Amino acid sequence: MVSMVLPTVLPTAKIRVRTSRPLEISLGPRQIRDEADQRRQAVAAQLEDDNSATPGDSTVVEAESSRASRQRSRAVTAENGVSDKKKKEQAKTIAKIKESKAFKKRKRDAGVDSDDDDDIARAIFNERHAPLPGQMDNCEICTKRFTVTPYSVAGPNGGLLCAPCGRQIAKERQGMQPKKKAPRKQTGGIGSRRAHQSRILDGDTGTKSLATLCVQTLAKNVDLADSLGDLPPHLIDKIARIFSKRRLLRTETLPLFVQPNTEVLHIYDGAKISEQDLLGIFQVATKLRRFKARYMVQFKDEVMDYVLSRDIKLESFYLSGANLLSEEKWHEFLEAKGESLKALQVYYTDKHFGNDTVDVIAKNCPNMERLKIEHNQKLTDDGVKGIANISSLLHLGLHLQHSISPEAITPVLSSIGKQLETFSLTIVPKADDSVLQSLHDNCRSLVKLRITESEVMTDEGFAKLFTNWENPPLRILDLQKCRYVSAQQPRHNTHNVGLCDEGFKALMAHSGAKLRDLNVHACRNITREAFEEVFSKDALYPELRHLEISFCEEVTDFIVGSIFRSCPNIKEVNVFGCMKVKDVRVPRGVILVGVPNAQGMVTEGFD
Amino acid sequence: MDVQAPSKYVTLISSDGFEFVVLREAAMVSPIVKGMLDPKSQFAEAKHARCVFQEISSIVLDKIVEYFHYWYRYRNSEDVPDMDIPVEICLELLAAADYLGLDHVNLNSK
Repeated sequence: MVSMVLPTVLPTAKIRVRTSRPLEISLGPRQIRDEADQRRQAVAAQLEDDNSATPGDSTVVEAESSRASRQRSRAVTAENGVSDKKKKEQAKTIAKIKESKAFKKRKRDAGVDSDDDDDIARAIFNERHAPLPGQMDNCEICTKRFTVTPYSVAGPNGGLLCAPCGRQIAKERQGMQPKKKAPRKQTGGIGSRRAHQSRILDGDTGTKSLATLCVQTLAKNVDLADSLGDLPPHLIDKIARIFSKRRLLRTETLPLFVQPNTEVLHIYDGAKISEQDLLGIFQVATKLRRFKARYMVQFKDEVMDYVLSRDIKLESFYLSGANLLSEEKWHEFLEAKGESLKALQVYYTDKHFGNDTVDVIAKNCPNMERLKIEHNQKLTDDGVKGIANISSLLHLGLHLQHSISPEAITPVLSSIGKQLETFSLTIVPKADDSVLQSLHDNCRSLVKLRITESEVMTDEGFAKLFTNWENPPLRILDLQKCRYVSAQQPRHNTHNVGLCDEGFKALMAHSGAKLRDLNVHACRNITREAFEEVFSKDALYPELRHLEISFCEEVTDFIVGSIFRSCPNIKEVNVFGCMKVKDVRVPRGVILVGVPNAQGMVTEGFD
Repeated sequence: MDVQAPSKYVTLISSDGFEFVVLREAAMVSPIVKGMLDPKSQFAEAKHARCVFQEISSIVLDKIVEYFHYWYRYRNSEDVPDMDIPVEICLELLAAADYLGLDHVNLNSK
């Protein structure tokens, strides 16, 4: 009659555990309830069993057990005898379990030797007698008492665990499982297609360079970086550029770029830099030679005063958006520090940089090689004429609010045109063929030429400029929006105003061999025939990298295809508003921007 | 590939002695490694297809080798996921990337 013993084993075994803890010796109402629960459970377990004993037997045993437990709580000394009995009973139960179907199944699944039989049997034994939800139990690991819930986790030996231990065990078990792959992140909450198009416009299709990846990671974790160490200047510049993308340059991050031995400082977005920060820069970086600051509103008179008080010799000074800096301070600066200055680039100064300033430059800056004045509201023709006196100038760029007359430009060209390498006039509606003629007659070293939005230059003028010009081939040429403008008869360009066929052919014949960047944006009078002739099958423009032909109405699929054939090194072609471009296959590694359909560019072999 | 058919793999060795065996074609993304291992050159590196980088630790070289394979795997793809860069070695990796000439974007074989 082995089975009969079964129900008695568990309750008393439990009690033994309990009595070992002095606090729980007294028989409180909770304990009584627990015992009742355990008895109920024992009965359930017995009924489950195949060879269950008669109900009568079980009740007798139960009564016995509860009495025994009560005795235990009163007299601990009686323990030994009872526990011997329990052990015997437990052993019998386990022996019985070993014969049961469940045991055999588990053993087969585990595929272990007979040595582990006892362990398996004991595990089954413990599982069967696990407490039901709602009742109390002792945690298997920490032995604390806790209320069993349906969510209680089973421990390694089959017993139940309290909530903290259960959580820990669950975590451990989960840790062993392979981690789920994180879903692919989309950039900035926009669709992947949009992100892809954005990357195309940024010019990086395919894999990014390792340096770019590093710099991007760095920009995401600026706060963690203490110093950039001794990275080469071009990498520091790269980092500085990417910092401007999210206005990361602040008082806290500025020290990354400003060190006592800093010679070159490029601030691409100084909107968050305060006046104090600026003073700090000139205090710390005493060896500063090249200073560039964009959106640097806080560069005021006080800052300039401080610069004047320091022994800093700037070679290159680039300031954008400092419209609080007065003209007097500009003059003071140029008079005091002008001698070392080789490059001066000034953008968005409102009315604080005028004709007089040009004269001051001419007087005080004998080494000035590069002068750029853009988005300036004060400089007029007189000031432009004054530029002719800056005899050392190699690079000149002007973008003025007042439209400059050709009479102001030609004297400059005849004076310093011979050595000029860069000549850039942005938005000069009045500039006419005399400027082109002057370029033709004077310039012999030009590498970069820009004349934009001229409304009066003619095709003949352009053709003359590029025919038999003694200047070597240009590398960068920008003639955007040099075209005929008329509200009444936009299609009747009877006088061939703007860059048309002959001018375009002449410029490609002159500079095609070395040309790297060409911008003929909105030169809409260039015909299909001219394009086809320039990019014919014998033509070769080995250096051409960037071509901007947006709003050239006559550009067709065939012409774009011919461009790809004639320019083996082409990287980017812009065709916004070229409505005749419909379905062109783009070679790998080339970017075609602005295709007038929803699909965008189609790379060869990807459709 | 050269007529002598050099091994398909090359070995890159870090300053602390770890050896990384990399597909030759993948390692060629770095112009510096390419120059070192050019079979036409007479460098010892080229003969044994082994490059020792005294300045690069194994942790950084490990990431560089990962980049080589990342580049090799995606060299013909358009839409490429970014490779993960651990923040701790970001600056060291940047310096090493610069040293190995991995700072130009146009790596796509055209």
